[in-house]
Amino acid sequence: MKTSPWIALVSLLALAFTVATSLSSRADIWSKRSKSNNFFGVIFGDGRKLFANQFFTMADVYFHSGYYPSIFDKNSAEQKEIISASHGAKETEEDEKKEDFLGQPKDWIDAFGRHFRLTEHVHLEQGNEREMLPWLRLAADLDPQKIETYTVGAFFLREHLGKTNEAEAFLREGFHNNPENSELLFELGRLYQDSADVTRARNVWELGVKKFLALDDAGKKENKLVFDQLAVNLGRLEDAAGNFDQAIKWLRAAQSVSPVPGELQIQIDAIQKKLAAPASVPATK
Amino acid sequence: MNKIVALAGVVIKELYRRKDFYVLFVLTALLTVAAGMVNFFNDDKIIRIVKDVCLMLIWVSALIIAIVTTARQIPAEREARTLFPLLAKPVSRGQVLAGKFLGCWLATGVALVVFYFFFAIITGSREHIWPWAVYFQAMWLQWFMLAIVIAMVLLGSLYFAAPSSTSTISFILVVGMLGLGSHLNTLALQQPEPMQSLLAGIYFAMPHLEWFDLRDFVVYDQKLIAWPAFALATVYAVVWTGIFLLLAWFGFRRKNLST
Amino acid sequence: MDPETTNVIEVKCLTVRYPKPGLKQVFVTAVNQLALAVHHGEVFGFLGPNGAGKTTTMNVLLGFVPPTSGTASLFGIDVRQPIARQRIGYLPELTYYYKFLTAEELLRFYAKIFGLSRAETDQRIAKLIKLVGLEHASKRPIKSYSKGMQQRVGLAQALINNPDLLILDEPTSGLDPLGRMKVREIIQRLKDEGKTVFFSSHELGEVEAICDRVAIVHEGQLKAVGTVAEISAGHANLERAFLEVVGYQSTCQP
Ligand SMILES: Nc1ncnc2c1ncn2[C@@H]1O[C@H](COP(=O)(O)OP(=O)(O)OP(=O)(O)O)[C@@H](O)[C@H]1O
Ligand SMILES: [Mg+2]
Repeated sequence: MKTSPWIALVSLLALAFTVATSLSSRADIWSKRSKSNNFFGVIFGDGRKLFANQFFTMADVYFHSGYYPSIFDKNSAEQKEIISASHGAKETEEDEKKEDFLGQPKDWIDAFGRHFRLTEHVHLEQGNEREMLPWLRLAADLDPQKIETYTVGAFFLREHLGKTNEAEAFLREGFHNNPENSELLFELGRLYQDSADVTRARNVWELGVKKFLALDDAGKKENKLVFDQLAVNLGRLEDAAGNFDQAIKWLRAAQSVSPVPGELQIQIDAIQKKLAAPASVPATK
Repeated sequence: MNKIVALAGVVIKELYRRKDFYVLFVLTALLTVAAGMVNFFNDDKIIRIVKDVCLMLIWVSALIIAIVTTARQIPAEREARTLFPLLAKPVSRGQVLAGKFLGCWLATGVALVVFYFFFAIITGSREHIWPWAVYFQAMWLQWFMLAIVIAMVLLGSLYFAAPSSTSTISFILVVGMLGLGSHLNTLALQQPEPMQSLLAGIYFAMPHLEWFDLRDFVVYDQKLIAWPAFALATVYAVVWTGIFLLLAWFGFRRKNLST
Repeated sequence: MDPETTNVIEVKCLTVRYPKPGLKQVFVTAVNQLALAVHHGEVFGFLGPNGAGKTTTMNVLLGFVPPTSGTASLFGIDVRQPIARQRIGYLPELTYYYKFLTAEELLRFYAKIFGLSRAETDQRIAKLIKLVGLEHASKRPIKSYSKGMQQRVGLAQALINNPDLLILDEPTSGLDPLGRMKVREIIQRLKDEGKTVFFSSHELGEVEAICDRVAIVHEGQLKAVGTVAEISAGHANLERAFLEVVGYQSTCQP
């Protein structure tokens, strides 16, 4: 029986793929054993980061239901939509939807070809967001150090799909793989806060601040915005809990890095008023 | 016409008596089912990636079946020397080519039907929707794209020494056309002059196979493409198939078969 | 034209040159100024040592190879026209038939090419399978056949259209004595039916037994043509005559 080389090649690729998919769930366990060298790391080496980015992009492609510029289309570099969407910036989402990367047909071939490609800009909704999850899962498996994957994944799991447990597990997995990262702790805290678990939210955020400062001290340039978000949210949390002193402390800390220290000052003033009010009532009497 | 059908019948018999098709089908089925069984965040409604994987495998399998089957037809006839008793009968070389083409094309068509039926079953069992018209459009256009490919490979198989080199070159060429076809004009603009005209020339002169890929429509939103465009694309495929078959016939008609 | 008087095969001044592999300008002359006429109803033996140009001549007759110069015709029709092959049966040398088909399927396929009706096909296939002695194997794929069995399949397919002219390239090669006897019988029977048989062979004994006339070619050139008796005149037998014609000199003699 003559078997063509193509069949052999495809079977091998297919086999590799099956093994990879069936093992990917087990890969996390392995990664515990060998830290950053997880299953995919062993197979692909550093090229896995490339794949991870590709898969992350695939999640975005799915989010847009296939209406997506290829690497040949001009504006592709500017596409960062998933992020804006993930942070609920509705305006930008609407703006972005109006954008049309295809432009006017360049020639008749292009024009006729439009019949055979998706030309309508849509976003997944009504639970269909779940379709992106496999790509995020794969991206996380391929590059456990890519923070975006966890934050975006957790956002959709939590906000759009109501899968709080899975979101928490995903963020924890991310934190496990990136123990120094305070952004993941921030997202985790938000999750706890949403489920009204103030104590855990506080703990996680405080840990986040600690991690951030440790890195900052070590001279590593970190994204100041994360610290800003952590401190502001801690401030609000303490404010709501009635710990006004703490609240002011956090907001002050945030002022040092915030792009809008004035705004924060207004909030600080408001809290200070609250702090003064109950004490001043007996004082004026 | 009966002669052509008889010739095609031999090709089809060959395909289903060889193991290639079954291997590819079982592989596709296994991988699709495997992809469907992976647990992503405990969500058992996820389906698009399964569809994506399955259609991808269908495309690769169908291309392999079409290209490999076609590439070996004429060379095998010559190698086994069956071409001689065949051509010693009242059948013209053009009819032989036509029969080979028809056989390969029908055989791939049968394979496609099996593949898409499997696809419909798998996705239908999870989504409980059966957009047959969408599947039909996707399958039909894929089949007609394969007609172009088969005619092209048939032409190539007259000139390349070994079926394996014909297969490899055809595969690369087809994948290149599918991937770059719609972007060559954009790409051309980014190139310096001699290259620019060359790419633009290729863009306008090549068969645009990428039109026939409706996978996105099947995976994402199950919308139908406009029927007039669908019909035009079919005509386009027929024209290109005719061009390649004619070229093959010109080459084969006067070929010295003993060298 | 009266079929009885036209030559069934007519070759005039035929020359065929093959380009030497790799070298464009150098040619091998496989057939050189060959002239041949085969009459209606005769069994014609085409002899010559290996590489003499027998297969090449047949390839020209069947239109596979264009003549470099000269002409060839079958039933008075130039071989370049496919219609010339309507009434012939051809058994090529060294053919490996579609190995995934059974003998019966193969014959059925060829019958369709000839446009035979279903009933006629069934009847002919049954007859031919019996004739070549493949009854026990006709439903097995050809890939499971021995060399001799394949040769028998070849013979059967050459006869599927009940041809008026048979062109057989070494029909007995690879056959056992029984098979050879059978081929001889078949040829004899076709002759009795008034058919013409043109075949090449290295079996001079067999040629002697069944041929009306023979031609001997050597290095592409016709060296002798005539009845067996004419050619072997003055020699012990046809073999001796053949060896002399092709210029054989024993290297063992002192
Ligand atoms: N395709 C070809 N290309 C180049 N030369 C060829 C080709 N076919 C045959 N020849 C040459 O033509 C000559 C005649 O070959 P041919 O096959 O006609 O011999 P033959 O008489 O049939 O020999 P045999 O008895 O071995 O079958 C030989 O010298 C051979 O090398
Ligand atoms: Mg020979």
